[in-house]
Parts: sequence; structure tokens; C-alpha cells
Amino acid sequence: MSVALRSLLAKEVRRFSKVWVQTVFSPLITTSLYFLVFGVALGSRLQEIDGVPYIEFVIPGLVMLGIISNSFLNTASSLFQAKINGTIVDLLVAPIGAAEILIAYVAAAMLRASIVGSLVYLVACLFTGFRVEHPGWVLFFLFGVSATFAMLGILAALWSEKFDHLSIFPNFVLTPMTFLGGVFYSVDMLPEPWNQVSRANPVLYMVNGLRHGLLGISDVPVLHSAAFVGVLVLVLGFVTARLLHSGWKLRT
Amino acid sequence: MPGAVSAPALRCNQVVKRFKNFVAVDGVDLEVRAGEIFALLGPNGAGKTTLIGCITGLSRATSGTIEVFGHDVVREFRTARRLVGLVPQEITYDPFFTPVEALMIQSGLMGVPPDRARAESLLATFSLSDHKDAYTRNLSGGMKRRLLIAKALMHAPKLLFLDEPTAGVDVELRKELWREVRRLRDAGTTIVLTTHYLEEAEELADRIGILRKGKLLVVEDRATMMARGGGAQSLEQIFVDLINAGEVTEAVR
Repeated sequence: MSVALRSLLAKEVRRFSKVWVQTVFSPLITTSLYFLVFGVALGSRLQEIDGVPYIEFVIPGLVMLGIISNSFLNTASSLFQAKINGTIVDLLVAPIGAAEILIAYVAAAMLRASIVGSLVYLVACLFTGFRVEHPGWVLFFLFGVSATFAMLGILAALWSEKFDHLSIFPNFVLTPMTFLGGVFYSVDMLPEPWNQVSRANPVLYMVNGLRHGLLGISDVPVLHSAAFVGVLVLVLGFVTARLLHSGWKLRT
Repeated sequence: MPGAVSAPALRCNQVVKRFKNFVAVDGVDLEVRAGEIFALLGPNGAGKTTLIGCITGLSRATSGTIEVFGHDVVREFRTARRLVGLVPQEITYDPFFTPVEALMIQSGLMGVPPDRARAESLLATFSLSDHKDAYTRNLSGGMKRRLLIAKALMHAPKLLFLDEPTAGVDVELRKELWREVRRLRDAGTTIVLTTHYLEEAEELADRIGILRKGKLLVVEDRATMMARGGGAQSLEQIFVDLINAGEVTEAVR
């Protein structure tokens, strides 16, 4: 690992660690509140889904919610702030290649998402007990999904020229996609055509992939989910690296 | 190492930078000798910052080639950029980090393992030791400007670009910075300086280049340029005359 890559990675990790109340503790509280309301308070009144109590059913979705939003926000806010306050100059004059920039930003975002996701899961375990059916799939979806949304965060930051642009993604894309992606329900509970429409939502495959890993149940075959996430990582990796190399919206 | 020992610190060959229909840098040929202080002067919008951007990696030249100590800034960007330091015109700072952290991070980004002793030494040089652990956002404008210079020096660049380093800086600090610039030159660092304070160029520069509308009008050593006015004119008057002569030449064409 080059000195420049190591330094950029350390800088990005230190950046979110310095404001851990905002970057780690706050999402932990928010997601835990969802768990308390939908899992603990309402869950006892809802029937089991695929033989799993509702309080357990929502855990993978809420963990995924934390992974998606924190991986996206880490890269998006860091890179966009650097563009706006001018410190992107420090990176642009550095002898560091596009692949190294990509790896450092994505790895830091994956770390933050893993911390938040793990803490949300541990809080949930206090109520339901510890249950991991397929640890390998859990790790695959944790790393695959966080890498995917970290790269989407980079793309959003590159494209955005003002805060309004950047806010489009979490408010109008990520939140609807995650809430309609089977976090709180099984898509099999939806009538047609919404069942089929929901299957076009990428987040559905991510949530169900993790649900398979943790609980052993899923609305879609786990291999479909894995292939979907794998292809997304490869395509986004290629596109993001190319754009960073070209200096799109960074170098004049 | 392919870069020849005798190569100039900077060689620009027919560098053009075009923004749609606007030509910001128009066929600039320029050599900066190793170990000199070169002042690049020109009115606002002359293309000074754009040219520096093309050299340092902030911009990509539309055509032409640029070499730093014999290393092409595009094909050999890693080697070339490691040799270059930039103090940008705008004051920028990362609100998350303290001055000592900012220096350590920048050193690492430039490919040099962070050295806390060197960071603290540079902060002492620029009278920032008392604020080394303060948040950068709490520093005054002058302190932030000094921090930018310290950051650019952390990896010990051989070619340092100072893009209007004393803009908005008080007289005392300006003189302090001049002393530091001379000390760097004496230690072997090549310096390219842009400034709107012509007395700064008069005071510091070994050679002076004047850029106007993207074209390099003239490059001369300081003594030759000062002799243009029969030795009786200030650099400011000579600069104005040269710029006006450029306007006249363009009008005649």
C-alpha cells in the first residue's frame, strides 16, 4: 500500500471518527428508534413472516438501512465538502492515482458502514438474541453493499455543484428505495403489480441477501442477490475509477 | 531516473488551455531555471493561475507539454507532482483538522511518510507553534495563509509555486514571508511566484515573465527588465508600459 493511499485512508477514517457523535452515534440512535417502534412496539401485534417473529424479521433491513446511508454519506459528504471548501486541491496536486483515491474513500466508508451496521445489530440482539445463519453471506452483503453505496456517494459528490444537488440522493432516491425495498415487509405480502415492481428495486436484493445471511429466509434466491451486488460493484468500480481518472468535475 | 540532472526546473512547450471558445493560456513557451525565483506577472485574467493549474495537476492543458525537472506532468505525473509544491491563491482549510494534523496528512498525500518533528519545525518557522493543536477554522486569515505555505513545504518540494502568497497579508508578515522565500531559494528550492504587488517581484525575483491574455509577452532577468526604463522607472511603470504596448500591438494587427 503506497504512502499516499495509506494517508488518504487514514485521513478519511479520522475525519468521520472526529465527529463520531454525528457519524456513528446519531445513525445508531435513529436506526435503533426504528427498531423500537416497528420491531418492539408494533412487532408483537404483527404475525410471523416465513416463520420468523416480526421483531427479528426487521433486523436485517434496519442493519442494511444503516449500511446504505452511512456508506453513501461518508464518501458523498467528504468529497463534496472538499470540492466546496477548496481542499480538493490537496488531493489533485498529490501523486496519487484514481484507483488509490477510489480505494481509500471506499474503504473508509465501508469501515463506517460496518461499525454502524454492527452496532445496530448488537442493539437488536439485546431484544432478540444472537442469530447468524450464514456468516459468509452476511460479510459478503455487508462489504458488497457498503462498497456499492460508497461509490454512488463518490459519483453524487462529483456530479453535485451545490448542496441542493447532493440532497437529492438521500431524500429522493435512497430513502424511498430503502423503505420500499422490503425493510419492513416481505414483498410477497404486496399485491400485483407492486410485487413485481418491487423486484426492480436493487435494495430489495440487498436487504434480502442480508436477511438470508442472518435469518436464513429471503424473498429472492440469495444467488440472484449476490450476483446483483457483485455486478453493481464491478460496474460502479469501473465507472467511478474512469471518472476520477478523467478528473470529471474536479480538474478544469 | 530519466529526468536529466541539468534539466530546467520547469519547461512549458506550446502550452494551450482552452475553455470552450475562451483561450486562457495561448501557446506558452517557458523555461524556469533550477534554483531561481521566477515571478510570473500579469493583469487579472492573464492566465497565470490557469498555467500554474496545468503544471500542478489542477487543470489539464488542451495541448502542449509540460516537464518538471525533465518529467512530463501527465505521463510521469507521480514523479513530477512529488517534486512540486503549490500554495494556492485561495485560502483553503479542512475544518476537521489541526495545523499539525493538516501538515502530516499533506506530507503523506505527497508520498512522504509523515514526520511530526518536521511538521512542528515548519509550524515554528511560520510562527504557528502556539496554534498547532487548535482547529484550523479558528486561525486568523494570516495564520491560515502561513499554514498553506507550511503545508506546501512538508514534502520538501524542489519546485514551489506561490500563487499570490501575500494577498491580504499585512506588511510585517509579507516581509517575513519574503525572508522565508529567499531562504528557500538559498537552500536550493526553485520558486515560481505570481503576485499583484510588483514591489514583491522587484524585491525577490531573479527573472520576471509577463503574461497577458494567455500569451507570454516577455521573460527577462530583473536587471534587464529594470533597465527598460533607463533605470529610473519602477517595475510597476515598466509593467504598465509593457501591457499597454501589448494592447497597441494587438490593435495594429
